[in-house]
Amino acid sequence: MSLAREAARPQAPRLSSEHAPRVSSGGGSRLRSGRAFRDNPRLVLLGIILLLGALVAMVTLADRSAELNPDFVSEVVLYAVSVADLTMVIALGFVLARNIVKVVVERRRGLPFSKFRGKLVLAMLGLTIVPSVLVLIVGGELIRSSTERWLRAPVDDVLRLATQIAHDYYRERETLMEGHAARLAGAIPATSVIAGDEESVRRAVAPEVAAAKMALVEVYRVEVTGGRQRVTPLVAVESASLPRGHTRASADLLASRIITGGTDPQPLEPLEGGGELVRAGAIIREAQTNQPVGVVIASDHLSGGLAAHSRRITSAYEDYNHLRVLKRPLQGIYLSLFLMMTLMILVSATWMGLYVAKRITRPVQRLAAGAREIGAGHLDHRIEAETRDEFGSLVEAFNSMASGLAASQQKLERSRLDLERKNQQLDDRRRYIETVLERIATGVVSLGADSRIETINGAALRLLGVDRSVIGAQADEVVQRDDLRPLEPLLRHARGGGKAPAAQEFALARDGRELHLAAAATPLQRDDGTFEGAVLVFDDVTPLIRTQRVAAWRDVARRLAHEIKNPLTPIQLCAERMRRHFTTAPPTARALVEECTSTIVGEVESLKELVDEFAQFARMPAPRAVPSDLNAVLADTVLLYKGLFNGIRIEQRFADALPPVRVDIEQFRRVVINLVDNAVEALGGNPAASSNGHTPEIVIETRHDPVNGVASVVVADNGPGIPAADREKLFMPYYSTKRRGSGLGLAIVRRIIAEHGGSIDVADNTPSGTIFTIELPV
Amino acid sequence: MNRVRVYVGAMLAALLLPAALLAGPGVTVTPLARDGRLLVSFRFTDSFGEDLRAAIHSGLPITFVYEIELRRRTSLWLDRTIATATVLATVRYDNLTHRYYVTRKEDGRIERADTVDREEAAREWLTSFDKLPLFDSAPLERNGEYILRIRAHTTPRNASFVWPWERGIAGLAKFTFIQ
Repeated sequence: MSLAREAARPQAPRLSSEHAPRVSSGGGSRLRSGRAFRDNPRLVLLGIILLLGALVAMVTLADRSAELNPDFVSEVVLYAVSVADLTMVIALGFVLARNIVKVVVERRRGLPFSKFRGKLVLAMLGLTIVPSVLVLIVGGELIRSSTERWLRAPVDDVLRLATQIAHDYYRERETLMEGHAARLAGAIPATSVIAGDEESVRRAVAPEVAAAKMALVEVYRVEVTGGRQRVTPLVAVESASLPRGHTRASADLLASRIITGGTDPQPLEPLEGGGELVRAGAIIREAQTNQPVGVVIASDHLSGGLAAHSRRITSAYEDYNHLRVLKRPLQGIYLSLFLMMTLMILVSATWMGLYVAKRITRPVQRLAAGAREIGAGHLDHRIEAETRDEFGSLVEAFNSMASGLAASQQKLERSRLDLERKNQQLDDRRRYIETVLERIATGVVSLGADSRIETINGAALRLLGVDRSVIGAQADEVVQRDDLRPLEPLLRHARGGGKAPAAQEFALARDGRELHLAAAATPLQRDDGTFEGAVLVFDDVTPLIRTQRVAAWRDVARRLAHEIKNPLTPIQLCAERMRRHFTTAPPTARALVEECTSTIVGEVESLKELVDEFAQFARMPAPRAVPSDLNAVLADTVLLYKGLFNGIRIEQRFADALPPVRVDIEQFRRVVINLVDNAVEALGGNPAASSNGHTPEIVIETRHDPVNGVASVVVADNGPGIPAADREKLFMPYYSTKRRGSGLGLAIVRRIIAEHGGSIDVADNTPSGTIFTIELPV
Repeated sequence: MNRVRVYVGAMLAALLLPAALLAGPGVTVTPLARDGRLLVSFRFTDSFGEDLRAAIHSGLPITFVYEIELRRRTSLWLDRTIATATVLATVRYDNLTHRYYVTRKEDGRIERADTVDREEAAREWLTSFDKLPLFDSAPLERNGEYILRIRAHTTPRNASFVWPWERGIAGLAKFTFIQ
């Protein structure tokens, strides 16, 4: 594809690496190199011109074949045309086999338009092969019959008889000259020849030459040299009508042959002035000894016209006979040339038919392949327009369509990316909200339009005491549980379709503790007012209520301290005054007064101590926390109990590398003392009090959770433990399981821990006893 | 029994058929070493068929081409060609005088030319060669086994259209060179 076309092509969308730009379909270097000839009109034209040139050469060769040298015809031309025929047969076979195999393979592979192409190829082959074979058969028969007609009997007879006439005439002249020579041999005196008497010989010959109308008579004398006979010219008598230009060579040769007894035929001597000399010779013998003494050669002159006509007749006859002899090679050449032309036409027509079939189907195949590529998502696929005809326009339209699709795809891709980004944002936001919902302490439950639970966060699971299996369950079924029944009115309100949210507070028993929840239900409605679901929100208000209660108790304590403590001192003073007053009274009365006043004073003291504790609870100062070593604080505190309770083992399990914790050391020490006192109280203060058979033991342990940033202090005993129903009340003011005590100890402990930002929890120890766990932020 | 006879007859026919096919034109070769030359006598027998006679009497110059190869026999490999020679004998019949003009050439040199008026004489000229000193015997090894091979054909060929590649008739003589 040219750079200009490449530049004009619309920019394909950059989808991915696998959609790299593709130049063209179904091509490859082999196809492009193959197109170099087939799609180059100049080369095709050159090929046609060469083909026509070859045809013209063959026609010329056929026209002149009869005039060529027979050896050249039979040794070169026939071989050449046979080789050319064989080559063309092989080429035709190759072209046919290749394309037939190709068509068959394409059909088996199910390539598009393979059936159409196969039918087209078969039709074109039929249209070319059948007429070509018919023409070849008919043409071959015509050539055969034409060559047979060359050698028709009348022509043969005429030429043969004419040649025979010419031959007979020549033979007759030779016979005549033979007679003249024999007669002259007898007439010439042998003695004159032996003596070399030229004049005598000439006198004997000259009258005979004139009388017999001979053209030339030559007499030779025989000489014997070294036992061999040889002839020497003696006399030559020629007619006045003999043209100039003859030589003696042929006569000398003939004389030599005759004297040596040769039987070779007499030669003919062509003359420069036209015509030929027909010669004959005879030996001159000595009459008595019959020894050869000379040779006489008599020659007759055939005129130029007669000789030429005879030669022409003979030449024509021989040419005619040449045709007869060379009939087979010439027929072969004509048939070969005809076959060659037929094969050339056949090869050309076959190739052309296959080429045309390919020209028709290839663009369609490429379009189909391009459509498949487009269908596979390769929108940057383009087809190179090979022609400027209708197929070229079709290809251009296809490319335009592909460009449009690519642009649309690009827009869609952008939209998709934008949508993905928004979805990602929504997903992030959703995950963020889910995380927030999961992390917040407020429980959130969403209901669908069918009142099924769609979502529930961790806080709701924890507060309601359910697991995630409730997702998808009907909310009505879930609240059928006893402890969740207080939610039914709220649920009904939410489903009722009211737009205003409903709020409700209720308490649930959870692990033996009372859990106070503030719930709110908000119905969800569409714009048309139809119920779409509801959102239930739960807040754990237990600490708030607890704080409110503590505040109330503190207020009560302050009032008690103020209202009770003030009258106690006058009461005590009055009792002591009464005791002093009755010191002089009779013993009975004095004893009574003494007992009563002692009781009053003792109870007043007790009330004072009680009031002091209330006052301390009410006026507890804010902690002054400093980073402290909890292990050291605990160790110092436990040291106070050393030797006091020998029957109770106090074990310390302090964590290594416990980081400093910000605590008010005095307040924290009071917490530990309170817990250890309670433990000692639970254990009964001595081993004998242990009812479960185990050695009374108090374990004071510290732990560190670096992940959550928490330091824990555990105080555990193996006493009888605390019933589950009493555990929550433990931290309430004025609740005590002891016979003596204000019930403020654990309330103060919880308050101190809470003001340190921590928490305290109570649980059963294993196998018996109680564990108090304090968690403080590090 | 008749069937056996038929089988035996067919087998005999199959055996005799090649011999019958071989009966026809042939080349007989006779070598003779003398005076430092290898004299070659050969005869192209039964070569004058009617086609050839007609071709000669048509006046067309007909050439008998004899390609002669002297080879050294090798037991384990192809025979080695030592020397080659080409003898041409050409005849042209004059239909006017009914004479045969004959010429012999050896390796391109005209050795003899003559005119004869008898067909037999012309045939002898063309097909019978006596003691032609074609090769020098000096390079030949004593007691060596040699082959003298002659391939003969006539030109112009009366070749067929279908298969023009005729190789001619060949004959050979094996001999041991004894000095």
